[in-house]
Amino acid sequence: MTLWRLAWRNVWRHRRRTVLLILVVAYAAFATILYWGINDGYAASVLNAQARFVGAPVLIMTPDYRDDPDPEHALPDLALTAALREVPRVRGIAPRLEFPALIRSAYTAESAVARGIEPQREREVSAVPAHIVAGRMLQRPGELVLGRALAERLDVRLGERAVVDTAGPAGPRAAGLVLVGLVETGVSQVDERLVLVDLADARRLTGVDTATALALDVPRGEEEAAAAELRRFLPPVVAAYGPAEMLGAIRQDLESNRVAAIPIAFLFALVAAAAVTSTTTVSVIERTREFGMIAAVGLAPVRLARVVVLESVITTVLGWIVGLAAGYGAVGLLARINLLGAAFGGFVGAWSSVPLTREIYTAVRPAYALYASMTVFVGAVLAALIPARRVRRLRPAQAMRIE
Amino acid sequence: MVRTVWTLGILAALLASSAGAGAPAPDPQAVLRAIEDNHRGGSGRFTIALTVVRPGRQTEYVLDIWSDGEDRALAVVRAPARDAGQAFLRVGDNLWLYNPRLKRALRLPPSGRSESFLGSDISYSDLAGRDAEQDYTPRIAGTAEGVITLELRPKPGAPTPYGKLLVRAQAATYAPLEWTFYDQRDRAVKRVTFSDHTRVGARLFPTRTVVEDLLREGYRTTASLRDLRFGAVPETCFTLQALEQGCE
Repeated sequence: MTLWRLAWRNVWRHRRRTVLLILVVAYAAFATILYWGINDGYAASVLNAQARFVGAPVLIMTPDYRDDPDPEHALPDLALTAALREVPRVRGIAPRLEFPALIRSAYTAESAVARGIEPQREREVSAVPAHIVAGRMLQRPGELVLGRALAERLDVRLGERAVVDTAGPAGPRAAGLVLVGLVETGVSQVDERLVLVDLADARRLTGVDTATALALDVPRGEEEAAAAELRRFLPPVVAAYGPAEMLGAIRQDLESNRVAAIPIAFLFALVAAAAVTSTTTVSVIERTREFGMIAAVGLAPVRLARVVVLESVITTVLGWIVGLAAGYGAVGLLARINLLGAAFGGFVGAWSSVPLTREIYTAVRPAYALYASMTVFVGAVLAALIPARRVRRLRPAQAMRIE
Repeated sequence: MVRTVWTLGILAALLASSAGAGAPAPDPQAVLRAIEDNHRGGSGRFTIALTVVRPGRQTEYVLDIWSDGEDRALAVVRAPARDAGQAFLRVGDNLWLYNPRLKRALRLPPSGRSESFLGSDISYSDLAGRDAEQDYTPRIAGTAEGVITLELRPKPGAPTPYGKLLVRAQAATYAPLEWTFYDQRDRAVKRVTFSDHTRVGARLFPTRTVVEDLLREGYRTTASLRDLRFGAVPETCFTLQALEQGCE
């Protein structure tokens, strides 16, 4: 108890040094929490964009279509729809008929994947209809909705006709459709490539009378679990896929990003630990004469070393608490306010292969406190042991002669 | 008095209609068909010298063409040497390309019809087909100085991105003179001019075609036909075997 009191007093006798140490530890904890919050938040933003804008929270399709998205691998029928409505997690169902197409204006042509939808049902499963920024949503066959950037590249304006060409199971077909709405979501894959047509037009163009997928809405965060649950329930000719499974190569990127984050986080911990250790070591060197005096009045070197360890423990724990508060405060703020989207929004267009909105939020998970404590623990152990070892070897008479 | 006015009015209307009956207005659809017939020239074989002009450069191609004058055409590139042997076959909406280096025939998507042929201002659709008759509703826009002008408006849902076509032809023969393509804002975007007509039976077939991109200065393609041999083309010319091995 005496040692604790001595350590506590020592800590506050050298306030500047203590504050510096607390700041170093706090910074390590803060940086760790922020790093993981941004990392996980980025992955969550990609998955959310995939689920709400690019694909759907859950997609039911044939495995053949999943492997080779050709309309000839469409669903055999849509009889499943009624049964799916009874599944508790399923909040909305919409059929989709997607097909490769060429969109032509009088000036240029762009390749795209056109999506045939039932306009009313699509609202149940996708955030896209809520992001019409000019004109209106599809209402009937003969109409077309495009991503704003795509429409700009084609130079097609509202009320003008664009031509949709395709070659489905019915052979080569084309239709002139009138542009009624423009979509802008901040997801480059949508804004630059989205082509929405009425399901009836999609069926007429492709000759497919069912759909290539059933899009399902499920509560946020339950997408993968719902897909897994549905897979057990569905007949073998079809399967359910969550957004992570529909990401393709990007999914591997996300996973490898997470794996790559671990050594980076470890490096963080090491640098933070080195900073704490060096600060503590320097402070011990500075206090050599002081330690010599204390040892001379009877405190054994082992106990003196314990005091140094306790000082380190007190400062690192205080730093850890400050770092946790600052870290969770920052990720909590960035989870509510779209500051990252504003900061990195300019890159979203450049990463056109990654479904990412201009809304990027951090994730907030309790595990970050554990990651931060691991960082701090490494720092604390090094900070305690190295200077303590020096103090244990201290010879009072020699120490007191040091200026 | 009122009755007198009515009677005069009816008389005037009758006179006007009887005057018109002496020179019935031509059926726009029939005029368009006649222009298309002249434009297509009927079935036959010919050689095209294709000059593609771009800002700062010019490329010359020589192609042999076999066409049934309708929806089928085979084109084989003879020059320049680097492109020689390439061949294109259109049968209705289907389009194939033969690459001699790969020794493979590839079926192009239907969108390929509207794509640029050999990087020129001519699309594959321009080589064969009667898209105008299928996609547009014609109206006689006027006749002046021996030239008849048809205005073509797209049919509802027609697969054309244009808002209007103005077709000018000789009023007496319906030999095509000029097609102007307009966007949907009434701005001319492409002009095709026909000249050097040659008589093929009852048809007046243009042997020189100039396609101008009106939105990009210096983009022009000239197609000059020579060695015209009209007459039936064997069915075997419109097969994948002919695409790979030619049709002689």
